[in-house]
Amino acid sequence: MGVTERNMLPTLPGSGGEASILTTRLDAVVNWARTSSLWPMPFGTACCAIEMMASFATKYDMARFGMERMSFSPRQADMLICAGRLPYKMAPVLRRIWDQMPQPKWSISMGACASTGGVFDAYSMVQGIDTIIPVDIYVPGCPPRPEGLIYGILLLQEKIKGETLSNASLREEDAARTGRQNLPAEVIDQVSVPYGNSTTQNKVSGLVSTTAIARPADRRP
Amino acid sequence: MTDKNFDEALSGLEAGEESASGTEAPRGDSADASSHPSVAALRGRFGDAVLHHTIFAGDEHVVYVAPERVRELLQWLRDDDAQRYDMLIDLTAVDYGGGRPLEVVYQLWSTTEKRQLRLKATLPLTALEIDSAVPVWNSADWLEREVWDLFGIHFRGHPDLRRIMMPDNYAEGHPLRKDFPLRGRFSRAEQTRRSLEMAVEDFYTPDELTVAGGVVPVAATRARASGDATADDKAKGAPGAPDRPNDPESWTPGASGSAAGGAPGPEGASS
Repeated sequence: MGVTERNMLPTLPGSGGEASILTTRLDAVVNWARTSSLWPMPFGTACCAIEMMASFATKYDMARFGMERMSFSPRQADMLICAGRLPYKMAPVLRRIWDQMPQPKWSISMGACASTGGVFDAYSMVQGIDTIIPVDIYVPGCPPRPEGLIYGILLLQEKIKGETLSNASLREEDAARTGRQNLPAEVIDQVSVPYGNSTTQNKVSGLVSTTAIARPADRRP
Repeated sequence: MTDKNFDEALSGLEAGEESASGTEAPRGDSADASSHPSVAALRGRFGDAVLHHTIFAGDEHVVYVAPERVRELLQWLRDDDAQRYDMLIDLTAVDYGGGRPLEVVYQLWSTTEKRQLRLKATLPLTALEIDSAVPVWNSADWLEREVWDLFGIHFRGHPDLRRIMMPDNYAEGHPLRKDFPLRGRFSRAEQTRRSLEMAVEDFYTPDELTVAGGVVPVAATRARASGDATADDKAKGAPGAPDRPNDPESWTPGASGSAAGGAPGPEGASS
């Protein structure tokens, strides 16, 4: 499947956890290289993809941030942008593409639907792609403006700059989890019932949810 | 549809699925049949098979026909020199809820006569079967698959009746039916587990993705890929063969809890 099972980088003097002058300098160089050449794998499924295309076009010009080239092959991509809602029928495809991307890799969940299921609290829709793959940055919006996506990518770059090679667990990948869901079953149920993931997130963030149109008896069992 | 019909539909919907109000199509004409030449011709030729004729939105003629003779009518409408409905624009279905019968809708267009006609056949929930229109129009193939997938109406004689919208391993029933719960029947965890269980390559083989290669024997491809004996039955058009395990009747509350993970299989579906 092409999954990188272990960190490809050589073990460094500081890999025990302590930071040395050598590793921090090397971290800075490696992270500079990684942040400056993030090749995105576009996974556009809905209207968010239109905004994503706008972000990559001349006016917003994502190439300024090192994304010179959209990588339509997951094998050459560093960052997956899921732009749009993800149906269950598409979930194994997203997971397969994520598994095919080599480390180091990051992912951005763009828009309300990708992050929570959004308005699609229905039988066919995944309630947040973080149930399928790990997500680094969530970009809110319906759809987010290009500025929003760019802000998310800049945040991701900041996140990458904070990584260190001495922490090998950051880029470790469990081959046994290939093709599996990202969250355990209990968590998936917890975030998506009774009113779907978006309502749950509203409640968690302290917002008072508007009344959801839902009949509890709808959910058997 | 008039306001009166709309009100009736609404009240029936709220009454719940048990109140079966009117399982037969309305009889008698509510519109002047002479205003559409095909309607008059249909009446003259098929008589009792034409149940009801109505006009919607001023000039859209809707003819309710007997479902058991629908293939015959469609064939005649396509082949008769005065009709020439050579194009099936749409084939869909409607569920008005409240236990009322489903309607299969055929939207026809005659490219030579520049005329359109809508046929409807009502099917009670207890007998959701109708003859396939694929022998008449090839375009009915995917449309009937869609109607079967989302409404559970079985088309007799369809060459390859299987799901087209929902995943092939979908076992929660037919989502566009009014008695289908909005979020599906399984828990989200179970839905996620099942979706990731799909082997993507099995459903999108290079053979199946071939468009220019003429007729692709999909059923045969599937049988070869999965070693599934029932796929052979499907290819022969055996009645009852198409994915009976996915029928809503086969779904039982205990059959697939998220914890047990026991998917309702074909063995649990034997009528």
